[in-house]
Amino acid sequence: MRPLRPASLAAPVLGILLALVPLVAGRNITLLNLGFFTFLYVAQGLAWNILGGYAGYVSFGYAAFFGLGAYTTALLWLAGWPPVLTYPVAGLVAAAFSLVVGGPTLRLVGPYFSIATIGVGEAMRILMLNLDRITGGASGLNLPTTVPSKTWFYYAALVFAALAFGVAAWVRGSRFGLGLAALRMDQEAAESLGVRTAVFKNLAHVTSAVLVGACGGLYATYLQYVHPDTVFSFTESISLVLIALIGGLGTLWGPILGAGVFYAVQDYLQTSYPTFHLLAYGVLLIFILLFEPKGLAGLVGRAWRRTRGGAPPPRAAAGAGVEMAGPGRPGAGGPA
Amino acid sequence: MFTAQNLLSVGVAALLTAGLYAVMSYGLAIIYGVMKVINLSNAGFLMLGAFMTLVYFQAWHLDPLAGAFVNLPVFFVAGWLVYRGLVRRVMTSLPLASLLMLFALWLVLQNLALAIWGADDQSIITAYTYKALSVFGFRIPVTRLLVFGVALLVLGILHYVLGHTYVGKALRATVQDPQASLLVGIDTDRISAVAFGLGTAFAGFAGSLLTLLFSFTPDFGGAFQLKSFTIIVLGGLENFAGVTVGAAILAFVESFAVLFMKASLQNVIAYALLVIVLIVMPGGVAQLWSRNRS
Repeated sequence: MRPLRPASLAAPVLGILLALVPLVAGRNITLLNLGFFTFLYVAQGLAWNILGGYAGYVSFGYAAFFGLGAYTTALLWLAGWPPVLTYPVAGLVAAAFSLVVGGPTLRLVGPYFSIATIGVGEAMRILMLNLDRITGGASGLNLPTTVPSKTWFYYAALVFAALAFGVAAWVRGSRFGLGLAALRMDQEAAESLGVRTAVFKNLAHVTSAVLVGACGGLYATYLQYVHPDTVFSFTESISLVLIALIGGLGTLWGPILGAGVFYAVQDYLQTSYPTFHLLAYGVLLIFILLFEPKGLAGLVGRAWRRTRGGAPPPRAAAGAGVEMAGPGRPGAGGPA
Repeated sequence: MFTAQNLLSVGVAALLTAGLYAVMSYGLAIIYGVMKVINLSNAGFLMLGAFMTLVYFQAWHLDPLAGAFVNLPVFFVAGWLVYRGLVRRVMTSLPLASLLMLFALWLVLQNLALAIWGADDQSIITAYTYKALSVFGFRIPVTRLLVFGVALLVLGILHYVLGHTYVGKALRATVQDPQASLLVGIDTDRISAVAFGLGTAFAGFAGSLLTLLFSFTPDFGGAFQLKSFTIIVLGGLENFAGVTVGAAILAFVESFAVLFMKASLQNVIAYALLVIVLIVMPGGVAQLWSRNRS
């Protein structure tokens, strides 16, 4: 048992505070909606970060998991299942798919993996659009109209986010997380020290796919409608990448900050300038890559240290950011 | 359905497409070859090339073909600046940092275009847009022939530059071995800037040519970008001649596959090929003949 630090109390306290919100402002539908989406994307950002941040395999194809989860829930719900029971199944379907795809693609070196995932994600979208017998094709699927209240969705998403946080925190501190960090820094060195890199990478992929798939299921119940172009969209994939990167790649709190900013900015800009939020994130991302590779979490950490009067920076933890990622290998050959 | 006439006309269409594919992929190949950076912003410059052509067309009634040549210097400078301002600063960190930087740039370009021109479909109609020529009994749209001709011309010029000028030779030397190039006195940083400029110029150029054949939106480019990846991976990534081979393979596979499957699934072929070739044949098609030789 490691000593309890104030930082490890922050998450439960934040969770309890957020859980109290509907009791105070239960009639404010806008606030509950904002909460729902933010938590849904906190959960997915945290899940994405397990592979993208901890292991350094940046995937642009997570919409495939989200979409599969959404459609699993949709089809089972239409078949008469209660939605809540479909979420684990949605997660499992996404996990199965992640194994099929991850087996071969995770053998590719970093950037090539990223490119391949764009291909996989887009191929899935087009395939689903064409499987109109199952997915409803370009007209989508209408789902039952009997749904729980907004408050229920708020709590459900909060539970998902808490679950994802728990998983991410556990992975980060475990031998598994250390193995992922090692293989991110240098795959060959990690292997030579006995890290089973192939197993670890796939395990990270599956873990995050389960969470994202379940989130897709929750999303489908919330919207009561699924369409291949929305749940399998490239925008869905890059939202997760942006949330994790802006928040802080490989940090525990990064996706939480990232999703919070993502939805606050989107909500603020969407009414007056519907297209500007992605522009804003693009610019933000450029600045982050140039000046603070650990994102908002890195900025907050820096400010925190400054207010505490130049205390020494905390020991580098398992999931550090890009600049910690070991010797760059310029011209590191073709795909492995 | 499978008459000789039919197959031949599909073959001709594939050949014409291959020219376009080669032009839009060369930029990616040059940048990858010199810097080992995957230029995700290629799609953004492709799209911007199309919109700049529209701007020239609306402001000065400039023909898209002329617009393509105007784009060359404009986009060369843009690429040079992007390299100096953004890419070079992250080159020392992981390969992923440059990938993400260029991804961010793509996002910025795309949404900037969305803010300026809106999400509507744009198209450029010229006097010859709907004309077609009869060649040996095939009706071929004039625009396709023009695009193919210009593509061949530009690829010829590129071939000459790469093979016979100092910059071209230095560029190829840097592709083969950056360290050794430095040793013999090649300013590889400068060559990288040139390569990025050249690659971006090609994207802008190809974007102009695309306006002759397709309508476009700010989202346009993503699908072509993935096809370009497929092409350069097929061609063997560091092999400039391989780009032409890869373009031809993709164009022929796509064109003939339509005879067997739904046309709406056509793009899946390129994506599936991309993933399969990356995993099974990372050296691209070139791997096949070099393996036989050894």
